[in-house]
Amino acid sequence: MIEQISALLDDEIALEDAAHLISAVLKNKDAAQAWSQYHFIGDAMRGNAVLSQQFKQNLMQKIEMEPTVLSPNAALVSEVSIVKHANKLPASWAIAASFAAVMVVGFMLLNQQTHSGNELAPTEVARADVSQDAAADEGIPAEYLNAHQASAPSASAYYIQTVSY
Amino acid sequence: MTGLFAVAGLLFTLFSSISARANADDDLWQVLQKTAVAAHALSYQGIFYYQAGTQSKPIQITHMFNGQGEFARNVVLDNTPREVFSQGGDLTIFNPKNENVVIEKRHGQNMFPAILPTNLDLIKQSYSLRAGEPDRVAGRAAQMLFLDSKDSFRYSYRFWVDAQYGLLLKSVMLNSRNEIIESIVFNQLGLMDTVDLDWFQPKIDSKKTYVMEDEVAIIADNGVSVGWSLKGLPAGFRKVDQMIRMVHGKSLPVTHLIFSDGLASVSLFIEPLSKSIKPRAGRKLVGSTSFYASVSNGYQITVVGEVPEATVAQMANAVVFKK
Repeated sequence: MIEQISALLDDEIALEDAAHLISAVLKNKDAAQAWSQYHFIGDAMRGNAVLSQQFKQNLMQKIEMEPTVLSPNAALVSEVSIVKHANKLPASWAIAASFAAVMVVGFMLLNQQTHSGNELAPTEVARADVSQDAAADEGIPAEYLNAHQASAPSASAYYIQTVSY
Repeated sequence: MTGLFAVAGLLFTLFSSISARANADDDLWQVLQKTAVAAHALSYQGIFYYQAGTQSKPIQITHMFNGQGEFARNVVLDNTPREVFSQGGDLTIFNPKNENVVIEKRHGQNMFPAILPTNLDLIKQSYSLRAGEPDRVAGRAAQMLFLDSKDSFRYSYRFWVDAQYGLLLKSVMLNSRNEIIESIVFNQLGLMDTVDLDWFQPKIDSKKTYVMEDEVAIIADNGVSVGWSLKGLPAGFRKVDQMIRMVHGKSLPVTHLIFSDGLASVSLFIEPLSKSIKPRAGRKLVGSTSFYASVSNGYQITVVGEVPEATVAQMANAVVFKK
């Protein structure tokens, strides 16, 4: 089945012979998964724009870390909409509505933080203690090594697993 | 009479040997030039071993030039089946991690055996070339070449190139004590005479979830309006790129400059210190990669590259802040 889906995407199976595959993709969870994975991999190989599959997950994580108290208006809107439609809509819709409202707040907070971070005066922090030879104890810091290898890859970056966080 | 002939003969031999030496030098660079081009222009398939420190990996390579474009697939054969696809300079890496396969996009055109740039001018400035003995690698007749560093700012190389096609068969990187720090060597190699591209696709594991690597924000940087300049960079290194990027664990963007001497790359990071960043100073050498960190004028300066320690130290000290 999975091989056949792959063959269909490679144009090795004619569309008119693929009715059973299409219906499988619609009904069968594994087939649907394979269908979207093959498309995703194909897009990545062709260099098409691909939205990270973890985009939603990452965003939700960031939002969870953010306090929403700073934006009473947005919270109010989502509350109102949830209360108003709670009886009519399935649970997932209510979650989606609050997600959308929180998303806007989350982005605003992220932007605010970036701006306030830039205002720190370098002279003020220059007096901080320098941890001598910290690097010698820890090896090469992964964040710099990864950034170096991402933009100027060498043989080891190609063949050896890079450090993960 | 015979004496005159002998003198003339001696002079002739002397002159011809001098000009032969100059020609031999040019000829050697021609051999290396052929090697640089062959890796891109030929279609071949084989298995080579990458070895550095305690790491050793067998890698299967399929490389094709079909007249219009260059395609390559590199599969790590041991342990996790990492796959690297390149199309021109665009790389797509399939990197299995636990239950996922992480897809990474990169840019690079220096994958073995294409480790040499096709323009050797920069390399000629910093390295000297001399011929070694004929040898055999992967069952093929090879010419050995020494590419020696002219100074202590870079490593030296030994190359074995295919006597017939010029393809690089073996590459060894050495430090100043002549110790091998990295070696890459074919043990099987054959030319391909097909233009079929059906091999140019990843081996898909249906039990794994494929995910894109987290995108790192990178902004091109024209280098204008900065509070610092560079003075006294190590000889032979040229800036090839400059960008502003986010680095993992840092809230503020970091200026990232990349330097190359044609073979080795060095990254220089400059970032303003803030309360959230613990200032760092020190140096470290792991395998062929050197690291140097220092603090200057309220900035953290960090240098990483596949060069000796002296190079990263001098590069960090080359950052001069404007008063």
